[in-house]
Amino acid sequence: MRSWTLPVALGLAVALIGLGVTLGLRDGSAAAPDARAASLAAELRCPDCQGLSVADSPTRSAREIRAQIDELVAGGATDDEVREHFVARYGEWVRLAPSAPAVWIIPFGVVVAAAAALIAWLAARRGPPAIGEASSLTDAERRRLREEADSLDA
Amino acid sequence: MSLRSLRWLLVPLLVVPLTWLLFTGFGRDPRVIESPLIGRPAPAWTTETLDGGQLSSAELTGRPYVVNFWASWCVPACVDEHPVLAAAHAEHGDRLTLVGVLFDDRPDDARRFLDRYGDAGYRHVLDERGRISIDFGVVGPPETFFVDAEGIVRAKMTGPLTDDVMARHLGTILPGVSR
Amino acid sequence: MIPTIGHAAILVGLALSAYAVVAYVLAARGGDARLSVSGRRAVIGSFVAAGIGCAAMMISLLAHDFSVLYVARNNATTTPPFISAISLWAALEGSILFWALLATGWAALVLHRYRERHRALMPWVGATLAGINLFFFTVMTWPGNPFARTAPVAAEGLGPNALLQNHPFMALHPPLLYLGYTGLAVPFAFGLAALVTRRLDEEWLRIVRRWTIIPWIFLTLGIVAGAWWSYEVLGWGGYWAWDPVENAALLPWLTATAFLHSAMVAERRGGLRIWTSALVIATFVLTLVGTFLTRSGVVASVHSFTQSAIGPWFLAAIVIALGVSLTLLVWRLPDLAGGGRPSGTVSRESAFLLNNVLFLGLTFAVLFGTLLPLIMLATTGEQISVGAPWYNAVTVPIFIALLFLMGVGPALPWGTASWRTLRDRFTVPLLAAVVVASTAVLAGIRDLGSLGTLALAIFVGGVMLDEVVRGARGRARGRGEDPATATWRLATRNRRRYGGYTVHLGVLVMAIGVAVSSGLAIDRTVTLAPGETAAIGAYEITHDRLIVEPLAADQRVIETRAEVTFRGPQRGTLGTALRDYPNSPTAIATPAVRTSLGEDLYVTLLASDPGSGTVTLHLFVNPLVVWIWIGGAIAGLGAAFAVWPERRTRPVTQPRAEPRPSRASVETVEGA
Repeated sequence: MRSWTLPVALGLAVALIGLGVTLGLRDGSAAAPDARAASLAAELRCPDCQGLSVADSPTRSAREIRAQIDELVAGGATDDEVREHFVARYGEWVRLAPSAPAVWIIPFGVVVAAAAALIAWLAARRGPPAIGEASSLTDAERRRLREEADSLDA
Repeated sequence: MSLRSLRWLLVPLLVVPLTWLLFTGFGRDPRVIESPLIGRPAPAWTTETLDGGQLSSAELTGRPYVVNFWASWCVPACVDEHPVLAAAHAEHGDRLTLVGVLFDDRPDDARRFLDRYGDAGYRHVLDERGRISIDFGVVGPPETFFVDAEGIVRAKMTGPLTDDVMARHLGTILPGVSR
Repeated sequence: MIPTIGHAAILVGLALSAYAVVAYVLAARGGDARLSVSGRRAVIGSFVAAGIGCAAMMISLLAHDFSVLYVARNNATTTPPFISAISLWAALEGSILFWALLATGWAALVLHRYRERHRALMPWVGATLAGINLFFFTVMTWPGNPFARTAPVAAEGLGPNALLQNHPFMALHPPLLYLGYTGLAVPFAFGLAALVTRRLDEEWLRIVRRWTIIPWIFLTLGIVAGAWWSYEVLGWGGYWAWDPVENAALLPWLTATAFLHSAMVAERRGGLRIWTSALVIATFVLTLVGTFLTRSGVVASVHSFTQSAIGPWFLAAIVIALGVSLTLLVWRLPDLAGGGRPSGTVSRESAFLLNNVLFLGLTFAVLFGTLLPLIMLATTGEQISVGAPWYNAVTVPIFIALLFLMGVGPALPWGTASWRTLRDRFTVPLLAAVVVASTAVLAGIRDLGSLGTLALAIFVGGVMLDEVVRGARGRARGRGEDPATATWRLATRNRRRYGGYTVHLGVLVMAIGVAVSSGLAIDRTVTLAPGETAAIGAYEITHDRLIVEPLAADQRVIETRAEVTFRGPQRGTLGTALRDYPNSPTAIATPAVRTSLGEDLYVTLLASDPGSGTVTLHLFVNPLVVWIWIGGAIAGLGAAFAVWPERRTRPVTQPRAEPRPSRASVETVEGA
């Protein structure tokens, strides 16, 4: 296999992901009112259920809240105004996704920090080179050696 | 103190906060939600009454009033608090208005409930679509809101009322009621 | 009579467990083997006692003995026998009794199995397991007596919780889950024993790995069964709500899985002893936290048993377990530190370590989300909710990274990977993924989540397939076997590796099922008079009639049922109902689900008008849902395959010190 095949494949994959993300973002900003209402309904907690969102719940309260969301969105309210409308009645408790940015950042922060620490630790304590590097075997021999070794691996 | 002996701090450092946190959960009912309406004007509403008439919140201003959300299927809580509400109406009915709001219930079932447990004499209103309970932020019956003569919500009770709780909350809207 | 026997059995279990703890501790310190034997017998005795207790409760339930408070609250004369029997674990006190049965069972099994081996470790293992059992018997003796009596005896009981009566999975989910939870006490016991005796070596690692995988299988199946059950029963069309109690079952699963992976690194090159011990401890403590959250009433959840006096006892157990194990870990820290050197930055080892970071990140995120409302309440007094939108946003990226790692990790060599290795292994799967994703976009699939998962699935599946084919080809060529035999022989001689591949395959299938069913599901709510038809997706639904009648199995329950005919990729009739149980204020939905490999047709009855026969139905078409359950089963089977004892002959290099053993014992010498 030529040495350029993997970089090319990676490049294609990254391009595809980039395209997907840009298309997705574009769709998101000009969202249709139904989509907005549906996503707002998914964010609000159904008052007389155990943790379900208003979008998923079959209760009468949920139905009425969904109807009110539709009315507010049709009347031109922004997403934040719709959320405020219900927070004014039920309190912050009715929002299934907390508003404080810290709550969103903390978990990602922890994961990224831990991953970075791991990578730094690995890079600093590199061990001896293993099979595949700096050896005088031919490609075929190396491959066969690895296959044999791997098949013995438990 | 060397680094090696400092490691012992890890134990209380991890155990104590977790214990305290889980401990604070006891004694609180996680289903009781504080209301953001306290200190703010009570929501306005206009709706049908159980006996076929009409009632609006505008007619209630000028006097303190109590809004009680209930349902015929909410047993035993609504059954337990029914006599407490009846007693309050009997005792303070001249200067206080009581209104019962039906939460997700059928009018026939509600009438059967009142026949069975006694109609205290104050009005009950329907809330067909649930708009009133949403405006008040009601999670589930029974919930009771205490509104003063200026129309400001002063207290909220989640769960069935008892005589002392009733007296205490009435004290916030009705002058001269001993707490 | 029977309840008295049951209660006596619990007291006997309490005494035996207390005795076992003392006997084992004395045996550990003094070295007297007879005390160990005595302790083991006491543990086996406590298992029998728990068995008698459970039998007594089941008999009381089947006989509708309302003199027992638990039976009066959870059973009625109209309750069918099957439901009566499984009500053993339906509510708080009974579930603790059932838990004690399983916990003593695991303890008896492990102590019996290793009675001739690991003489330094076993007394401490026995003391720990007996101590845990002692806790459960204590709870059953004081705050949570399952055989508490009630007088006067009522003529009729309240009946089981409505939600727990209308699906057979009530018989499956709790037992599987509890087997997982209780089983995770075993590796914990070995962990503590090793810390006390300072024997954290390969032997220990092998035992703890095995005794983590076995309960892990049950925990995995239990969680999947729970999701499937809630999907079939709750009516909102979903299977995971990030409910606090659901999260509580997930947390020990995450740390146990992290442990299984880091144990492979530790086994390979040594070291990581602090990390693996900490994970074993964390897993067990999280099972206690989970059961605490379910039983204490501290968080509101679909699952919580009612608030009771048991909460503080479980909190005490958590404090003791965490305190003791952390103290031991910290005490032995100097002995544990140090170990093998890690190899390069891109290698299987670093992939496994990154896997651990991600799993622990997930554990942190889920724990954080579950406890945050409690934290906010305790500190600021503010009441907030943390629900599905937050959990999905935070955990999905981590799951995707893990999925990627799942494919890449096993394909990397243990040492540093060269560029050539990466190229050989990953180029073709990557290209295949790009091609398939592009084709999907051209075919009209636009949902980003589904496309991403599809591409990732092709990539990971491709790498895994390449691994298996490579190995089989090498063997087939070397020994002249055909590919199928080669693969099978290779698999049975490398159970851990191929079991691992199977588990990963199961996870991959689940991931595809989850991504497609959440991304491409469609639903609509329709109101139909009898005879009217609605369309959803490729289906046409016709409402035939509305029927209101008591249930055949339990006459006290009134069922309002909409009978519906459907045409499309599947065709037939179904009945979706709302059931009125006498002990439940609201009617319970009984959705109808028609499952096929391609999609599920899911219909819930929202409202009905008996006068006109009009019904309001919530219709769903959920694609590929069944693959979630199938994937879970594959993962469980893979783990069972991995841990299945291998037939090993005595190694040639070992000098024969004793006379030649009989054939039977040679052929079935097993690993730990």
